[in-house]
Amino acid sequence: MRHFLPGTLLCASLIAAGPALADHCPSDTLSKLPEQLKDGGTAIAYQTNPAKIEVGKPSIEVVACVDGDKHMAPSRIRVDAGMPMHGHGMNYTPSERKISPGHSSFDGMVFHMPGHWQITFDVYEGDTRQRLTRKVSLKR
Amino acid sequence: MTLRRTACAALLAGATLLVTGAAHSTEIFDEDEVALILSHGPWPVKTDPDPSNRMSGKPAAIAYGKILFESNDLSIDRQRSCATCHQEALGFGDGIARGFGIARVDRNTPPLFNMRLNRWFGWDGKSDNLWAQSIAPILDARELGMTPEILKARLVETPNLADGYRDVFGAPLATHDAETAMVNVAKALAAFQETIVSGKSSFDRFRDALAAEDKAGIDAYPDPAKRGLKLFVGKGRCDLCHFGANFTNGEFHDIGMPHFPAPGRVDKGRYGGIQHLRKSRFNLLGPFNDDGLRATAGFTRHVRLTPKNWGEFRVPSLRNAALTAPYMHDGSKDTLADVVNHYSEIPEERLHQDGEKLLRPLHLSDAEKADLVAFLRTL
Ligand code: HEC
Ligand code: HEC
Ligand SMILES: [Cu+2]
Repeated sequence: MRHFLPGTLLCASLIAAGPALADHCPSDTLSKLPEQLKDGGTAIAYQTNPAKIEVGKPSIEVVACVDGDKHMAPSRIRVDAGMPMHGHGMNYTPSERKISPGHSSFDGMVFHMPGHWQITFDVYEGDTRQRLTRKVSLKR
Repeated sequence: MTLRRTACAALLAGATLLVTGAAHSTEIFDEDEVALILSHGPWPVKTDPDPSNRMSGKPAAIAYGKILFESNDLSIDRQRSCATCHQEALGFGDGIARGFGIARVDRNTPPLFNMRLNRWFGWDGKSDNLWAQSIAPILDARELGMTPEILKARLVETPNLADGYRDVFGAPLATHDAETAMVNVAKALAAFQETIVSGKSSFDRFRDALAAEDKAGIDAYPDPAKRGLKLFVGKGRCDLCHFGANFTNGEFHDIGMPHFPAPGRVDKGRYGGIQHLRKSRFNLLGPFNDDGLRATAGFTRHVRLTPKNWGEFRVPSLRNAALTAPYMHDGSKDTLADVVNHYSEIPEERLHQDGEKLLRPLHLSDAEKADLVAFLRTL
């Protein structure tokens, strides 16, 4: 824990972000995973297992980094998916296994229909959320 | 001699006809359609024993399970058995709208083919495994009306059932508590049911012929069925839900069927199914799963309960559809033609507002409806 300097709001927020600051994003993993997404200061890489998503049950490994070149691990990652054209989500809620800060693997993804899916990655840094999406199309 | 030669000539003529016929019938499917059709096979699908049931695939348990399945001793009044509602001659259904045991139940009796391919059991998927689903009718007051204690006492006093139990489970019934005995009975019942597998259908033979580019085989499949199949994978978009080799994605949808089994009583569908699943001692996360690794429990662990689950029912397999009338969770559609009419004129106001946007009335012509039915009858 750092020194506690009472009085300034700025400092309070620094303390809150303290543990995250210490953990750098595993940027080597980031470059290794095949699927890459970037939006502003947030970068994500992921891979599904099996690599080719089929109507069924893959798991997904996700690495996320926030804050551009500083490459910090986010405080939280959430993954979900849905079919925007059909107006529904998944029938399952993925569960997270943390591998290291900013690096997690999610089980319980079930793409239960063929067609156009959208995978949503919500990357949290404190209270701010950045949403990145990737479209995948599953064959019958 | 002459006769044989004539026969030969006729055969040759037949062969030429077949070839020209085949050219005509492959023309009706483009490359994409062929890929979609091939995705409904091959059949049968290879399955492994169920890891949650140590009796799965064991011949002694299968034989004992068949005896139990047909035994009236499994009902409180000794008047009925599983086979009362699941009759082999009726595709392991009962041919009536809603099952009737000691009293009438709220839902249609589904057929029991190809159970190893199911992820969920029951119209609402209230069970995540076949043995748990087999316990439900034993205890339901409207079906067999038993309790675990009465069931155990029954088995003890019925010599062939008591002996069979000891032989299969390797211990006398008296050494097991009533709940364990009931779960074991259910696991033998499951082992038997897993052996009910449907054979190759006329559609499967057509699909195999298409895969092998066997023109004679392709041509043998009737034209109305081919046109119906084209609708099924085409403008009907039926295969979004009736997906793959078993013609189901194994999940739950709301196709606008009413779900009030009686005035004032609502069938919660999948919503109630998930609620039941989560509190059941017999689910794959519970103490009776024989697989210590819980390798198949992932779906149960992750299943999500949302308001949209109200009024959703499991997508039924369409295999042997010709044998399994009446249709739908409440048995309210008497014929396949009635089902097709439903999809053709689907009442949009009945679909949940935030429900299945992909469903809309298809407004099929009479000829198209007849083709779709002709196709369904080949499954
Ligand atoms: C009173 C008639 C009746 C009796 C007796 C009965 N069933 Fe059923 N069975 C049904 C109905 C109705 C359903 C649908 C239940 C639901 O969706 O809630 C069903 C569903 C099933 C299913 C699920 C099939 C699927 O596709 O999900 C299995 C397995 C099953 N029964 C096995 C049995 C066994 C084993 C017995 C005997 C111990 C039995 N049934 C006795 C009527 C009956
Ligand atoms: C949105 C997913 C979905 C689509 C698309 C769909 N179905 Fe279904 N189908 C279902 C569900 C769910 C049921 C059971 C509904 C119930 O019982 O309330 C069902 C029931 C059926 C049944 C009755 C089977 C039985 O054993 O009771 C038939 C036959 C059928 N569908 C054929 C079709 C055809 C033909 C099409 C295309 C025109 C089609 N379905 C499109 C989900 C779908
Ligand atoms: Cu969908």
